[in-house]
Amino acid sequence: MRILVAVDRNPYSANSVEVVAKLAANTWANVTILGVLSKGHSQSSSPVSSQEWNMEHPLPKALQDYQKTFLSHFKEEECPYTQRDFGYELVERRKGVWEELYVAKSARKNLRARIRMGNPAKEILAEAQEEEMDLIVIGCDHSSGCEWEGLGGIPQKVVNDATCSVLVAKEEKTVNRIVCCLDHDLVSQQSLEMINQLVTLHNAKLEIVGLTEGDELKIEVERKMDAILQYYTTRGLEPLIEIVELSSLDAFISQEAKWGLMALWMGKKSILEKVFPRRKVSKLIQGSESSVLILR
Amino acid sequence: MIRALIFVDNRLASRIALRYACRLAKQTGMDLQTIHIEDTEHGDTPPGTGWVKSTWEKGLLVSAGAEISQLINELKPTCPTLRKPKMCVGARETEILRELEHTPYDLFIEGGLFSFNKSGFLGRFGTKLYREISCPILVVKNVGDIKKAVILIEDTTDLWSLIPRFFRTLEGADLELDILHVKLQKPGRLSFKEGAEAMKTSSVEDVDKIIISAKQMLGETGWSPQKTRVIRDAPAGIVDSLQEYGLVVSCLSRQTARKSSMLELLSHVPSAVLVCWQ
Repeated sequence: MRILVAVDRNPYSANSVEVVAKLAANTWANVTILGVLSKGHSQSSSPVSSQEWNMEHPLPKALQDYQKTFLSHFKEEECPYTQRDFGYELVERRKGVWEELYVAKSARKNLRARIRMGNPAKEILAEAQEEEMDLIVIGCDHSSGCEWEGLGGIPQKVVNDATCSVLVAKEEKTVNRIVCCLDHDLVSQQSLEMINQLVTLHNAKLEIVGLTEGDELKIEVERKMDAILQYYTTRGLEPLIEIVELSSLDAFISQEAKWGLMALWMGKKSILEKVFPRRKVSKLIQGSESSVLILR
Repeated sequence: MIRALIFVDNRLASRIALRYACRLAKQTGMDLQTIHIEDTEHGDTPPGTGWVKSTWEKGLLVSAGAEISQLINELKPTCPTLRKPKMCVGARETEILRELEHTPYDLFIEGGLFSFNKSGFLGRFGTKLYREISCPILVVKNVGDIKKAVILIEDTTDLWSLIPRFFRTLEGADLELDILHVKLQKPGRLSFKEGAEAMKTSSVEDVDKIIISAKQMLGETGWSPQKTRVIRDAPAGIVDSLQEYGLVVSCLSRQTARKSSMLELLSHVPSAVLVCWQ
């Protein structure tokens, strides 16, 4: 599993790193901490160009702190991200040219800190795309309608345009309940596992929502839900099942988002993609007091 | 031994009800008789009469029977008191009532998925089946953990209709039991009271009387409630206090059930609901 955590220098980013560290402690994911230097939109400093910034800029320092925070969640002897051995290894420097280099080897998993420069949403999405991330985690300031680095709409854009899953982590609320709205046709094993991890991480209750167009679920949807129910039951979770008519979905989501982390399956062919379009997702992310997970 | 009748079909609600009943039977040793009815009232119309009709009905039962038997067989190894289904063709409600009249059951169990739209749950209590059924009814909305149960009482609750039936139905169950005295209000008049504070502001005598009576009656049957609380709120506000329970037990009056605030409260409960009639 590959997780990208997008950070700036605000407290919500520290919270995002904490969330990712806890997730990584269970999953041993490859993690990239990505800071984005916004050209002309920096919150506290003047516009930055690639020639102007250096290691004295506060962002690299913040990234170092985040790495320390991340690693503090692991016991040193068990940490899969620690560089352990040094030795010589042949490395392909360019096509057809190999060189023996003295390298640090055997960190079982990667923890990288990267900085990109440009439009934050675009750079986060580009990094996720290039590195084939499975999950993007991004925090935001709930008190200002989910701003990121003083800018509005960035988590929303990341959520709507990413091809992988995205967790918008809000810092102020304890997650007691995780409410998952199913895409009836395309529930991937990875999505189920991600929910499993979040439930364990927060020690939260799990609720699986089945969407229906009439009074009853379709038989095939029921079978899918039963399989999911059993999947989680065999893992020691006791999920609740709730049925929601598509016409009540808005009301349901706005009610539940007050109490728990909303997880929405939104694949390209997802029924949710049709009834819960981008603007509603953006509104949910902006208004929700709790974290939101969009699964793909 | 308690005898329970469970309605089963090939729907998720039935599967959930069966799993829940098996968990309950593990604690109580309850005998679980399943019944499946190929509903001719809401399903296909029989093609003709006489031999044609009876052959068609047999065909229906054979195809449904295979699926239901598979479901029962899956659970049977861990649920020895689960019996083979009684199968019949007809109107669902009429056939269940007929079975309940013919054989003395102590409990009727069926599944009813928890829904954001509460009308399905509320509607059940207006059906002929629910209105005419004499034993307690267990509506299973979710499987959940059956470690904690709560008895909901109101000022008007007839404890003699509730406690002995609760005891009879769940005798031997290893449950942590609480009592919640709910003072249901219309939405908008919100307040939460607990323990001594509640005693000061609500009608002290009633609260004392009904909780003390309930505890006393339960004590006589060997149950000792862990917590007793008083909550004054609208049904939707109280439901958060019920999330931790795998079983919610209450009493309804047949005459006023459909319009009662207690039924509205039960519609918001995500777990299993055991209703006794008073």
